[in-house]
Amino acid sequence: MSNIPENLKYTKTHEWIQVQDDYTGICGITDHAQEMLTDIVFVELPEVGIEVKAGEQVAVVESVKAVSDMYAPVSGRIVEVNKTLEDSPDLLNSDPYGKGWVFKIDIKNKHELDELMDAASYADHVASGD
Amino acid sequence: MTAQKTFLYDDHIKLGGKMVEFAGWELPVMYSSIIDEHMAVRQAAGLFDVSHMGEVVVKGRGARAALQKLIPSDMGRLEKGKSMYTCFLNEQGGIIDDLFMFMLSDNEYYLVVNADTTEKDVEWLTLNCRTNVSIQDVSAATAKIDLQGPQSYNILKKIIKDDRLEGLKRFHFFTGAYKGQPVLISQTGYTGEFGYELFCINNIASRLWNDLLEAGKEYGIKPVGLGARDTLRLEACYSLYGHELSDTITPIEGGIGFVVSAQSEYIAKDIVENQKTHGAGRQIICLEMLDKAIPRSEYRVLHKGEDIGYITSGGFSPLFKKGIAMALVKSGVVSVGDEVAIVIRDKTSPAKVVQRPFYKYAGKK
Repeated sequence: MSNIPENLKYTKTHEWIQVQDDYTGICGITDHAQEMLTDIVFVELPEVGIEVKAGEQVAVVESVKAVSDMYAPVSGRIVEVNKTLEDSPDLLNSDPYGKGWVFKIDIKNKHELDELMDAASYADHVASGD
Repeated sequence: MTAQKTFLYDDHIKLGGKMVEFAGWELPVMYSSIIDEHMAVRQAAGLFDVSHMGEVVVKGRGARAALQKLIPSDMGRLEKGKSMYTCFLNEQGGIIDDLFMFMLSDNEYYLVVNADTTEKDVEWLTLNCRTNVSIQDVSAATAKIDLQGPQSYNILKKIIKDDRLEGLKRFHFFTGAYKGQPVLISQTGYTGEFGYELFCINNIASRLWNDLLEAGKEYGIKPVGLGARDTLRLEACYSLYGHELSDTITPIEGGIGFVVSAQSEYIAKDIVENQKTHGAGRQIICLEMLDKAIPRSEYRVLHKGEDIGYITSGGFSPLFKKGIAMALVKSGVVSVGDEVAIVIRDKTSPAKVVQRPFYKYAGKK
């Protein structure tokens, strides 16, 4: 069973967001996602400053075998990206909720957070095999 | 149609294999990590279930002559107990399939073909082998287990006690025994490492597989999935049907011109010989990425802004830790040392044309 921290919100497409204060969120991919991908060898980060909509593709994560899109959990402006991943994409495998964070976002509409899953619902989602 | 299961399916599940569908079969793409499995084969040993591959026995007084017509290679290179890599060509010189041909006797040949193309191959053989030849597709009854890597000999000799094993040369084989059943043991492979391909009947496959894993424990053997099989063959620049080779790609274009013999008489010889002398319109080149991007199949290749072709196989090389690729491009535009650009999503990444292969066959250590 993969690790699903209680304090995060989750998407069906296996991203997490941690709300730092009322308007900034830090985002990454879940432990389950990194387990499915295995051996992550490349991350294409979004440009700082761009505006994205919830569900829009923002980054690309590549494992040895496959190319996967990463989507924005909520709408907003990208304010920071984790440049360390360019040289150490394997941080997504070893520490997906910590050093493997992907970007920070200025949350445009707080109500969008209510649409996301909590840890228990995400655990059910993973167990259902989606 | 549901995917078929090999006789090692339960063993893959027990080993934690992540199963995927490939060529109509359920096979493990990896067990733990493609990179770890890849490196196990380069440094120690790896065990592969490739039972999905097709095996066809062609025999009879007319077998040799009939087969010679179908392949651009010289049947004279074969002798009893020896195999060779070759391909079937259509009338346009396109590759119907690439295959290994094992000579069992003057009148009997064992053909190892791709899973997806087995039916097409049997049809082609049937159409072209009319007199004094029998064609038997034995794929369904046959398991194929590959043992690859520098420790392969030390592992196999614990299981197969046979004097012929020690001196077995590359591209040679013999029929040994395991649990009283015949096993065709060939010193060949698809990884760039020293190793063996083992063919046996299904009902002993699981025991052979588990015995090899047990015997290989002290040498660091790992079961290896299709993911690492692909990265290993890519580093060694071995062609994959449907990628470097296809019905519309000739052996000269596809980078396997070395199988072509001027002495042989075969279907589409005029086209192939003409390309050999005057060059083909396209060629396979090898590329190494100059940034961290990963080249993948079908990405376009640009040279000074001009589209010159596409990547046939590409990926991350676990050994060299960078993106590598083979590409089918317009002939005569680029040579080793030149820089090209690979179109990846909406950007381009620089790559350098390098010498083939990326990884040279390592031989017995």
